Amino acid sequence: MAHTHSQETDAYFVPLRTWAAVRNAILFVAVLGWIGALAGYATDPEHFFWSYLVAFLFSISIAIGAAFFVMVQHLTGSAWSVTVRRLMEALMRTLPAFLVLFAPLPLGLHYLYEWSRAGAAKDPLLKLKIGYLNEQWFTIRGFLVIGLLSLWALVLYAKSRKQDDSGAVRLTLSAERWSAPGVLMLFVGSSIVGFDWIMSLNPRWYSTMFGVIFLAGGAMAFMAVIIVLCLWLRSNGYLVHSVNTEHYHDLGKWLFMLMVFWAYVSFSQYMLIWYANMPEETIWFKNRFTGSWLYVALLLVAGHFIVPLFAMLPRAVKRSRGALAFFAGWLLLMHYTDLYWQVMPVFYKSGFGMSWLSPVCLVATVSTMGLVFWSSFREKPLVPVGDPRLKQCLAFHNA
Amino acid sequence: MATSFLDNLPIPEFLKPREEAPHYGVVGDFDTPEELLRAIRTLRVAGFTKMEAYSPFPIHGIDEALGEPRSPLGRIVITAAVVGLAGAVALQWWTGAVDYKLNVAGKPLFALEPSVPIMFELTVLLAAFAAVLGMFYLNRMPTYYHAFFNFSRAGGASNDRFLLAVEAADPKFRGEELKTLLDSLGSRHSELVEA
Repeated sequence: MAHTHSQETDAYFVPLRTWAAVRNAILFVAVLGWIGALAGYATDPEHFFWSYLVAFLFSISIAIGAAFFVMVQHLTGSAWSVTVRRLMEALMRTLPAFLVLFAPLPLGLHYLYEWSRAGAAKDPLLKLKIGYLNEQWFTIRGFLVIGLLSLWALVLYAKSRKQDDSGAVRLTLSAERWSAPGVLMLFVGSSIVGFDWIMSLNPRWYSTMFGVIFLAGGAMAFMAVIIVLCLWLRSNGYLVHSVNTEHYHDLGKWLFMLMVFWAYVSFSQYMLIWYANMPEETIWFKNRFTGSWLYVALLLVAGHFIVPLFAMLPRAVKRSRGALAFFAGWLLLMHYTDLYWQVMPVFYKSGFGMSWLSPVCLVATVSTMGLVFWSSFREKPLVPVGDPRLKQCLAFHNA
Repeated sequence: MATSFLDNLPIPEFLKPREEAPHYGVVGDFDTPEELLRAIRTLRVAGFTKMEAYSPFPIHGIDEALGEPRSPLGRIVITAAVVGLAGAVALQWWTGAVDYKLNVAGKPLFALEPSVPIMFELTVLLAAFAAVLGMFYLNRMPTYYHAFFNFSRAGGASNDRFLLAVEAADPKFRGEELKTLLDSLGSRHSELVEA
């Protein structure tokens, strides 16, 4: 609805000096993170690979969530999200960086995956799976899925950037056409990597729900990142009017919905296994309820679902920037905890444990992602200025 | 003259024509939602409070323009949802663990895990019923007669027209004078509508 509120305008460009200062800060953190990670790799490769796997999963799940969401915005022809879409696209554009970030994993397969070890060929169950779960195919599948995601990310980003200058509606329509097969590819692809990267840590166990859980958690974390980024830019005087309370309200609704969706699919997996009560299935949860891991599981139930469910339900909470910032940060922490709880009990069998390399690897991968993200804004606008729906979005109002 | 003549006739009171027919209000007919919103805002500034807008689709921001309070529907729905949730727990616990104990494959008579789908479904079911029925109630549906439809162009509100009614109950209601005001705000056709 193009109505007649007088619209104050924002600066859509970050001055080059400010941009460079932020870039240098991220670069500094990234260099520190990678020095730490390399030191860890040299001294303690086993802990390094386990920590790196969780950090890698955390980062790429956010990038996949971004790609998913951008495509959904194109498919639904959303107007409300136009002013935040460039930030989403910039997060999506970090996907090609994961072709590099994925590269260390195949080097450490023996530390991580039982099926890659010599004993697998003798195991009656694992030797049947070795045609799929082997080092070559693991590597090929990883690069293939990240490659396809990157292709879509770069194409959609390029179209949106081109529209900044031309404003051609044709580009919006073409992005829609790319998004439909893109979403299909993304669901299949992220399920495959979810199976490969997390589920195959317990190679005898399987759950068809696993891919969706990975995608749902990532999409939720992505929404939390977008909220945090918008609020960070806002606190520095950017996007003050273009991302207003109405937009935060909708971002908050999405965060809430994706949090509930994660809980829905996670619980579906748990309940089916609880009800069937078959040892080869329940063992996955048994391992994750051992010792202090039980408290981590209970923390996820409360912190990743029950508390935010009731706390984020009122409209006022989603419209309050402070409350939204708190829950976005909290749910990001919960997403990391969720991945940690899925991955690490395979390594720390008797109870919760953490190496100093976990935060270091997380800093390394996230800051690398941050560098690519921030490179999208060097003398380039923070919002898709050529989008035909931009005016509509600026005047957007929740009914 | 005519009225005084009628007064002298021995006819029952209810057959006499009413001196002044009560009015529903003045309704104006606008071309676009923007013009409708502008008219509402102007009239609100002028002190009118009892207004109602009729449009073929929801218009963002019209509730605030009309000064409508937040709908209490959300509170009705959450109440029904909590009742549904509690009801589902009580139903499964009482039927399974109290009234008719049946051991199925050694599973506990009552456990939270398998109860969750029913808890979820009943919560959603009651919330949905409350949302639909609550909406009917708050919209005063069904209403079999509404004076708004005496407006000659009332049908436009379900096609391509944007109608604004200033109701007679408004303390600033001025009858015929209001037609001129609405016309000046862009109304294509304003009418004093009978109740």
